[in-house]
Amino acid sequence: MPDVLSTVQATFLSIDSQYNLLRAVCTTQQQRDDLGNQYAEAQEAYLACIGKMLRDDDPEISALSMQLKAANAKIAQAVSGMGNMNKVIDDITTAVALGAALVGKIA
Amino acid sequence: MFGLWSAPAKLLRSNIRAVAILILTACFLGTGCKTSDDAAAAAAQMSATAKALSDYYTAFGTILDDTDQIYILNQQLLSKPYTAENRQLLKNNETELADRAALAADFSTMAGQFAARSGSTAPADVTASAANLETEIDSLKSVTQSTSDQNALSFALQQFVTAVKEHKERDAARAMDGFARGLTALFIHEGAVWNSVEAVHTQVAKNLAVYLVDHDGADNSALLKVALHPFGLSPAAPTGDLKAALAPLAKQQIATRTAALDDSHAEATDAMTKSPQEMSDRIHAVSEDKPMPLRMAPIQLSTVDKWATQVAENQK
Repeated sequence: MPDVLSTVQATFLSIDSQYNLLRAVCTTQQQRDDLGNQYAEAQEAYLACIGKMLRDDDPEISALSMQLKAANAKIAQAVSGMGNMNKVIDDITTAVALGAALVGKIA
Repeated sequence: MFGLWSAPAKLLRSNIRAVAILILTACFLGTGCKTSDDAAAAAAQMSATAKALSDYYTAFGTILDDTDQIYILNQQLLSKPYTAENRQLLKNNETELADRAALAADFSTMAGQFAARSGSTAPADVTASAANLETEIDSLKSVTQSTSDQNALSFALQQFVTAVKEHKERDAARAMDGFARGLTALFIHEGAVWNSVEAVHTQVAKNLAVYLVDHDGADNSALLKVALHPFGLSPAAPTGDLKAALAPLAKQQIATRTAALDDSHAEATDAMTKSPQEMSDRIHAVSEDKPMPLRMAPIQLSTVDKWATQVAENQK
């Protein structure tokens, strides 16, 4: 059974561990702001998820959880794609949005 | 956002109340019954188990407090945002943990008091002890959050006293066994959450520690003690090439300690899960009119104590 908490946690930790490298190669203030916003949202999703004590037996939650795992895999490769920061931030945004949706489902 | 943890908190309170009744049952089983000594032992063991649970939650309060401080440092040093809203989420979780720690501590105290009273055999003593417990229940901070909960517990207490007076000891023991199993289920359910909180703490701390090593924010001299202490010498704070050469070793130590912290917590959680299970098995034996096999507290509790002490020392 997909573990909602572990996937939301993975999103946050993945961004946290790569944040310095990614921020260093941002070329515009907009990119830095976007990266910071996604970090804050991933952190919020994780903290809220902890607070909600998970229920991950819903099929819709399972599907979202699978999508988030796929998105997390892209974030894990973010450093290798630093030449295209807009693409990296898009991938992170996708993952963070999925995480927020997932946490919303278990509210 | 304070309502986020309401469901598990209610579950916890429900289980602690259930185990409070369990302890009452264990203590009052001694009313003219051959299981008196076993009942006293069960109450004392449950008191120790509840104390370990309180220590476990208190240690998590420390971990969340440390995590909060790391997030603040991350914002200041690395521009990682830490919004007021997110900090409030973390603080809410910390408040909930403190509430749980207090609940478990109150319960441990109550169980210990009733273990001491279990020698009473006269029906009048049973009634008097029940009245005293009702007063203690009323004083529990957690229970005062709900009048209906107090009424439910008082009603259960009256039912229990009636059962004891009618000498339905085995029925009471079976009920106690069920409550203990419910407590075990609660620990298992919450284990994933505690594992996550601990893992995130060690990972974000590790990420910040590596950054500090890379940016002259760490004194690596401790790595040199092994070479100098045998000769009565102390290392100077490394600089320049020496400090750079030690950086990989410092990072290796960070990684090793991260894994050790995670392993230590996993062992404590496993022990905290097994302890009430072991209590349940012992109480089940009493409910079957068999002697309690062991009179000491579950041995796994020492693992919980070791971990909680380690967490407290890491904050110094």
